Amino acid sequence: MLLAVAGSAAADDIARGKALFTGEASPPCGLCHTLADAGTEGAIGPVLDDLKPDAARVAATVTQGVGVMPAYAEILPASDIAALAAYVSSATGAQ
Amino acid sequence: MIGQHPINRRKFLLTTGGTAAGAAAVGLMPARALAQAKPLPAYADWKKPDAMIVHTAQTLETTRAGMGSPAITPADILYVRNNLPAPSADITADPDAWEIAFEGVGEPGTMSLGDLKTYGVESIACVLQCSGNGRAFFDHETSGTQWSVGAAGNVFWTGVPLRRVVAAMGGPSASARFLTGTGGETLPEGLDPTTIIVERSVPTSALDVALIAFELNGEPLPVAHGGPARLVVPGYYGVNNVKYIKKIAFTEEESPAKIQQSGYRMRPVGESGAPGQPSMYEMSVKSWVTAPLMDVSSGRVVIQGVAMGGVSAVSGVDVSLDGGGSWKAAEFTGPDLGAYAWRPFELVTDLSVGTHVVASRATNAAGDSQPENFPPNHRGYGNNGWKAHAIELTVS
Ligand code: HEC
Repeated sequence: MLLAVAGSAAADDIARGKALFTGEASPPCGLCHTLADAGTEGAIGPVLDDLKPDAARVAATVTQGVGVMPAYAEILPASDIAALAAYVSSATGAQ
Repeated sequence: MIGQHPINRRKFLLTTGGTAAGAAAVGLMPARALAQAKPLPAYADWKKPDAMIVHTAQTLETTRAGMGSPAITPADILYVRNNLPAPSADITADPDAWEIAFEGVGEPGTMSLGDLKTYGVESIACVLQCSGNGRAFFDHETSGTQWSVGAAGNVFWTGVPLRRVVAAMGGPSASARFLTGTGGETLPEGLDPTTIIVERSVPTSALDVALIAFELNGEPLPVAHGGPARLVVPGYYGVNNVKYIKKIAFTEEESPAKIQQSGYRMRPVGESGAPGQPSMYEMSVKSWVTAPLMDVSSGRVVIQGVAMGGVSAVSGVDVSLDGGGSWKAAEFTGPDLGAYAWRPFELVTDLSVGTHVVASRATNAAGDSQPENFPPNHRGYGNNGWKAHAIELTVS
């Protein structure tokens, strides 16, 4: 299902994902992650350009959290998590 | 010829897509590891690359074959799991100058590692294992590193027994219920520290066995494993063994850090982590096969592996060659290094041509045995089900 969402991701989904990544998610992903497309250089979590997570992996991680990374399930609506998944997987070319 | 691979995991199906020749070698790694053969990160570049799977810069797994079945795991193949990026190795330049603050004791204060050593030094062998070891064998989707068997090792720690230091400082405060250790990683600006600080609380009973460790297998503790000093709680999952230990406090409440409050909590699939759910503290009885050695002409096979008891000494291991239909007692091939250590085992047997599902099932002195299946749980913690850890051996 997530893949279907990512596959049909419209440009606004990607734009929404980028906005969340760089600032609107709280805390923003970029604070902890480096992602060239987003222009972020966070050094707490893995460099997403290297990790190239697919959409399902981004969605699972953002929903559940992992290690010291917060879970966003109760902070972000499912549509935002899908937008992040679409954005990160396309920005890193993983999709 | 002999081929082996772990079974019971959809990911395996992905790994066999390659050539038949490659399948035996690659089948032991989760699919993700294959997709990206990343170099070792600089802070751990002294590890043996062939024995390590680099999941991320902060999560390095020992391969099943690379682990073998040693009584003690050499440091250069020991897994690494850092919750935050490892600090600069500069902090290990002068270990004796490293300072640790003590709070919640009769006379709080700060002591250098050099001073702490004057309270005496002990060594202990124990299993170090990540809570998520075996996560890859669950069928539900889990976030986090997909460890199979290699987020574990059996090592010697040398350090200062915490109980002696605390006794000298007047003992824990009367209201203390938890021993709380804080890691010394530098935290980024702009974030509430409790969201990412590595701070873990364990019951004060851990004081009886806890060490402030400064050596790993007789060598100064490297930064990759928490040097210059690490809190070691024998029998407890890795996360409780706080690296770069900067503060030890006896507290009435558990740490407010997220890693304590909602992280590392055992709960049903679909539930968020919260205080009140069991925290990942004591390890459980577990074993796995690491190698079959085979005399091709006779069909003679030596099944080898490692077995641990958790917090009660491992007392026996049975091996099944038919997926759990029947079991034979294996023999320990290494010394009894105490309740918290693992022991290598082996079973010498003859195998006919065909495919055999080889499983191991350990029992500890308290009478606990590995279950056939460990219940799926949200974060994929604590897997010690024997079925998931079995391998398939093909004799042809
Ligand atoms: C407070 C810091 C922090 C924030 C904020 C953060 N992350 Fe993470 N993230 C981490 C850390 C640390 C890890 C590594 C976790 C581990 O393996 O222990 C990680 C891991 C990941 C992974 C890899 C998980 C895996 O399967 O190995 C992905 C993908 C990811 N984060 C995406 C995101 C996205 C998208 C956001 C924003 C919604 C985000 N992160 C926000 C710290 C953070």
